[in-house]
Amino acid sequence: MLLSLTRLGYAAGAAALATVLLLGPVAKADEDVWPALKQQAFGDRAIQAEDGMVVLEIPGTAEDAALVPLTVRVPPRVAQTLKSLTIFIDKNPDPKVATLHFGPAQGTGGERSFSTRVRIDNFSYVRAVLETEDGVLHMASKFVAAAGGCGAMQAKDPDSETVGLGKMIVKTFPPALDASPIWSAQVMIKHPNSNGMQLDINTAKVIPARYVDQMRVKRGGELVFDMDGTFSISTNPNFRFTFGRGADNSLDVAITDTDGAKFAAQSEPSGF
Amino acid sequence: MTKFAPHDLCCVPCQISRQDFLRAALALAASPLLRFVPAKAAEGVEVSEIAPGVFVHQGRYELQSPENRGDMANASFVVGTDSVAVIDTLGSAVAGRELRAAIRAVTDKPIRYVINTHMHPDHVFGNAAFKQDNPTFVGHYKLARGLGSRAERYLAINKMMLGDAAFEGIEIILPTLAVETSTTLDLGGRSLVLETQRTAHTDNDLTITDTATDTLFLGDLLFSVHVPTLDGSIKGWLALLDDLAGKKAARVVPGHGPHAMELPEALTPEQRYLATIAADVRKLIKDGKTLEDATKTAGFSERDAWKLFDHYHVRNVTAAFAELEWE
Repeated sequence: MLLSLTRLGYAAGAAALATVLLLGPVAKADEDVWPALKQQAFGDRAIQAEDGMVVLEIPGTAEDAALVPLTVRVPPRVAQTLKSLTIFIDKNPDPKVATLHFGPAQGTGGERSFSTRVRIDNFSYVRAVLETEDGVLHMASKFVAAAGGCGAMQAKDPDSETVGLGKMIVKTFPPALDASPIWSAQVMIKHPNSNGMQLDINTAKVIPARYVDQMRVKRGGELVFDMDGTFSISTNPNFRFTFGRGADNSLDVAITDTDGAKFAAQSEPSGF
Repeated sequence: MTKFAPHDLCCVPCQISRQDFLRAALALAASPLLRFVPAKAAEGVEVSEIAPGVFVHQGRYELQSPENRGDMANASFVVGTDSVAVIDTLGSAVAGRELRAAIRAVTDKPIRYVINTHMHPDHVFGNAAFKQDNPTFVGHYKLARGLGSRAERYLAINKMMLGDAAFEGIEIILPTLAVETSTTLDLGGRSLVLETQRTAHTDNDLTITDTATDTLFLGDLLFSVHVPTLDGSIKGWLALLDDLAGKKAARVVPGHGPHAMELPEALTPEQRYLATIAADVRKLIKDGKTLEDATKTAGFSERDAWKLFDHYHVRNVTAAFAELEWE
């Protein structure tokens, strides 16, 4: 009974998500879902795979599938501005992790990067697809052995999970060399980012999905990026990213979740 | 398989002083002869009587495998004049049946209680072996939620690692008696005091004291030799260990480690391990370092002190980082 409830919950949670890229509850382990995903996300556009324009760093084996650190880097030799970055985990219930649309404060003239922590539900390819100014798509991918990140309850202490929900920390870090035009930043938000696939055994009901779906980062009023997110991002979403130096290097971060709740924070003075 | 002598009472892995030896000898002389029950089959479960009527099986320092059948945590039972209580049931129905056979080699009193110290498979997956006894299954009131929400994943992983033969008969059996704060179970002539603990190793750790012998069963709040596994709160665990160090039990039984140990020394290595991780992780966070950085450096000074370090340590650091970055 318990297991059938869990399965039911899993399917119900997945079905409740009307996301464009949703492929169904669970992709079969041996099924190559990328061609379909690619078609849905980019149509017939060509993608240059592993051309060195984008680098994906993620452990080959995830120790904790609910909290896998992931970093996407754009090497310094790439001079173009960036249009967008989309991260996929092929076998996750919702394979799209996040899409970033970059604005004028994204920065150029150095290495750019974006890091977060993700849930990985199954042994899967993880992909980063970067769209450069010229409209060309570049992809880096890596296979990760990890299982049970999404269906598992990530909260080690569920009763404390919603304590302080919405608390944010935004920090900026100046470059090591004053001459570098690229700064980095960290955004943290206390949020369960629940995926609607966890069963509350006490009520025999699925814990409703509630996750951060939009984040807008601005530097001195100019857009660094807009992000669309999904529940493939781990509990207490955590981002590190770069932005371009400006006259005023303080950041404003606005976040909304799927319940329509809005959260906002400004960076602490840099270096703290 | 290692054999344990009947006098294997104090198993703290350190040199035994002359005083300790004399004390142990006196204790032995004053108590009825304690029993050692060897396994009947080559692959069976053997138990040692660490105090009158208190029997402990020492699990192996291994990951679950077809060979060990999930026999990788300590399991105990306490015999009263009326009935028997089992404390943890090993990691498969097969191993649970072997534990039951070991109990039946000692006593034919009814098995009235099956207590789980927390939700992890190596402590609860043998529960099914005791269904025939129609016992009360007892656990922390949060055990059902914790195990229930992880059941599918636990079953899948264990099916893969145990193989079909050792996985046979495993069922998720949740507590029929949920302990809110504390409860006392009467076994006849002795009682067990069960106390729920705050979030530490997990959010559903339960400790048990046998009042007749002053034996304290700590479950996985105490790891010895086997590296601790953090699935709750590092801050909560460290705080709880400070409290436990002040307890006056005659002996403690770890969830992984020797049959019996003494307070407060038994806790010292685990306190050092967790405190080292916490200190290293806090420094990395203060220096603006990332989770990835931490998984490569934090706590690695402890590597030679523990078995199975490479299997669990990075996960422990990950959990500690995610908790401590919000301080």
